[in-house]
Amino acid sequence: MGTVSNVLMFAEWWLYFGAAVAFYFLTVGIERIDENARGAYVFRPLLIPGVLLIWPLVLWRIAVLERNKPEGFGRYRPLRTAHGYVWLVLFFAIPAIFVTAMLLKQTWPADIPAVRLSPAEAVSQ
Amino acid sequence: MSGSKKDPFFVGYLSVPEGLKLFLIATVALLLGCFAALALTIGGTQDDPGDGAFRFDWGRQTLIGILEASPYPIVHVTKGTKRIPTGSTVLLSGNGKRGVQSRTTPLDGELVEISGVAIKRGNIEMLQLRGGRNGIKKVAGSVQMPSSKLLGRWRLSGEICDGKCFTGTMRPGRRLSHKACANLCLINGAPPIFVSSAPVNGTRFFLLVNSEGEALDNKFFHHVAQFISLEGTVEKRGNLHLLKADLSSLKRVP
Repeated sequence: MGTVSNVLMFAEWWLYFGAAVAFYFLTVGIERIDENARGAYVFRPLLIPGVLLIWPLVLWRIAVLERNKPEGFGRYRPLRTAHGYVWLVLFFAIPAIFVTAMLLKQTWPADIPAVRLSPAEAVSQ
Repeated sequence: MSGSKKDPFFVGYLSVPEGLKLFLIATVALLLGCFAALALTIGGTQDDPGDGAFRFDWGRQTLIGILEASPYPIVHVTKGTKRIPTGSTVLLSGNGKRGVQSRTTPLDGELVEISGVAIKRGNIEMLQLRGGRNGIKKVAGSVQMPSSKLLGRWRLSGEICDGKCFTGTMRPGRRLSHKACANLCLINGAPPIFVSSAPVNGTRFFLLVNSEGEALDNKFFHHVAQFISLEGTVEKRGNLHLLKADLSSLKRVP
């Protein structure tokens, strides 16, 4: 099986797990960790695409908030702190990825000539 | 909440607080400068897309010629137009990412009339056929198939592209960013083209086939859009050059 097939299979299973997490989170989990969501249903389908992609983060946040339920602004403080670190990492990572790609990019072999390996007469049809 | 009551606080629809003005101006200037530099860098490192293009400006092209269905459908033109003269050899494709093998195989070796939109890049020409019998049909008459000429065995460096996008359907229709598109075209029967860095017999474009002279197998598709070197026999059929390539000789160039 090729690399592309493996990547596609990984993506497929990632989305299957995401669908399972989305089903749990949007029917049960969200009401357990956020009292403001109780009784509110229309917005929930809008969260499905996001949960499909970042379901490990959703599970982690459910676990954290189930163990410890800070009130008010305290609920968001860890995420805001993490946001600062992520911003800093991306600030360096994005230019680094871009520069690395430029360095690894192949150059057109303009200086490599066509080499005749056998004369026309020597090739049998 | 931490912080003094005198801390400036930005609200989009209110005036910018005095303490934040300098920061805001510096940030905007920095972002504008960074994005301008990024745009220049990306734009400056792009390759020339070449002169390939759909030639809608030529109008519909209707040609008569002898069809060679294998390894990929080509027509040796016996009655051309002002744009595609008699003696040309044109590659054939269907609409979108499709070859026309299902329509051409039953007509192999026959004199046919083909009709469609021309696509041209350098000395390589393709006709995107109209649907059904409007695109290709047998006509009365018989013509001798043009002779082929072997031009020896060569080692060439360059890139495997799909003949449809490279000839002008996409701009650019080559290089790594185009690999997935090229492979879709090739899997669906579009003719593969080897673009050589150096000419042989006056051309840099070769219809790529395997060493047996048959259509490419999937193993070649892994190397599409990379810069590689290949060994194979070059053959001229009509006005078109073929490269019968040995996969075992394929190497990635630095």
